[in-house]
Amino acid sequence: MAVCVAIIGKDNAPKFFACANPEEELNFQYKVLSSLDIVEEKLNPTVKTSTADLRELYLGMLYSLETHKIYGYVTNTKIKIIIIVDSTNTSLRDNEIKSMFKKIHSEYADVVCNPFYIPGEPITSKSFAMNIKSIMLQA
Amino acid sequence: MTEDTLFELLHSEVVHYALQNDERSNQDEDLSIIEYIGFSVGYRIIERLTKDMSRFKDELDTMKFICTDFWSAVYKKQIDNLRTNHQGVYVLQDNSFRFLTKISNGKQYLEAASKYVAFTCGVIRGSLSNLNISCLVTAEVQNMPSCKFHIQVQRT
Amino acid sequence: MSRSSTKFDMKKVQNSELVTLTYGALVAQMIKDMDTTEDVNKQLERLGYNMGIRLIEDFLAKTGSGRCLDLKDTADKIQTAFKMYLGVQPNVANWSAAGDEFSFILDTNPLTDLVEIPEDLKNLKYCNLICGAIRGALEMVQLEVQSWIVQDQLKGDQNTEIRVKFIRRLEDAMPAGED
Repeated sequence: MAVCVAIIGKDNAPKFFACANPEEELNFQYKVLSSLDIVEEKLNPTVKTSTADLRELYLGMLYSLETHKIYGYVTNTKIKIIIIVDSTNTSLRDNEIKSMFKKIHSEYADVVCNPFYIPGEPITSKSFAMNIKSIMLQA
Repeated sequence: MTEDTLFELLHSEVVHYALQNDERSNQDEDLSIIEYIGFSVGYRIIERLTKDMSRFKDELDTMKFICTDFWSAVYKKQIDNLRTNHQGVYVLQDNSFRFLTKISNGKQYLEAASKYVAFTCGVIRGSLSNLNISCLVTAEVQNMPSCKFHIQVQRT
Repeated sequence: MSRSSTKFDMKKVQNSELVTLTYGALVAQMIKDMDTTEDVNKQLERLGYNMGIRLIEDFLAKTGSGRCLDLKDTADKIQTAFKMYLGVQPNVANWSAAGDEFSFILDTNPLTDLVEIPEDLKNLKYCNLICGAIRGALEMVQLEVQSWIVQDQLKGDQNTEIRVKFIRRLEDAMPAGED
């Protein structure tokens, strides 16, 4: 399972944030924000440090700490999705992380189709929050 | 096929709604309402359409997607011709544009055509805007049902 | 002009999705334009009416349907129309004792797919378009009816229920008009 999911808008402002343990929220927010630079770096084709396939929406692991691993995904519309996983959770495979991202992206695309949601605003839908929580717990 | 009918009827109601509004007196404003409704549709639908696609290489790659997959999804056919000056101007030509095929040809109808292309200009602008390409989109109808969409990318 | 690496399934974008999004954008625009939700509700019904009077021609041409024998027959034909145009088949239920009123019950409604109504718009009758379309279509075949929403999934109800009440048979063919 994931301990945190964040959706970051085009403007790098958080649109949605969910934590398994609400007490850790501030700590995770900090981790998410500091991962955004790495995301930008990975997307920049002139920086040759990354060997990853740029065509892939899934960016793989952004960085790992003693306690947590941080993964990233960027949509064609430049929405960033960040997932944080506990480092002790070694059973989680790359494919599973990737499929978690796909599901979250799908949920996001659905929210955007709600005519009453104004793109760029924080996502307040309760059903969205519930669906993301269940995706976090599933894997 | 029958869902097509519904979409076409709804589109004419969008046009009808925007033009009947008395509070706005000039036609440009009415057309901008239609364009904005299209923008909203384009902005939202593109999130779904590009969900399972690999990342676009560049601007031209994105335009090709608009001409092929995107156009087929929305208008049931591909764009017939794409031209570009490689400096941010793209011209998309549809020789049989869906919303014009049912309007008779003739000079007086040509003037009415602007109402039936505004929605699509908005859809294109909205889609590209969400794909982070900000642009101006205008349409040119010379010979119905053929239509040319001019996309001018705004560089910042 | 092909993107070789594109794995794109066109069937994923149904026209109904376009209809849903376009309708949603139009409703959002109306809410911006109009003073009260009640005005929006009326406008949506009128819009449906305008579509209904055109849809019926398409429906008759495509199905080759003849005159309706009775209200039961009418209900069945509208049920078919739901299937044709929205891709869902509602149940016809809750007939009144006098046989002049019935309901369409929809488990799913493509028109409201992914729509979430904000708290401050609880009076919005988002599906009034359907009521209007039924009224418009039936008027073209000389039936005056009333139609309204009884239950609404957007408001948390289990199903969406659309009620139809027969008022009278119109004697002379009405000229096709728009409200």
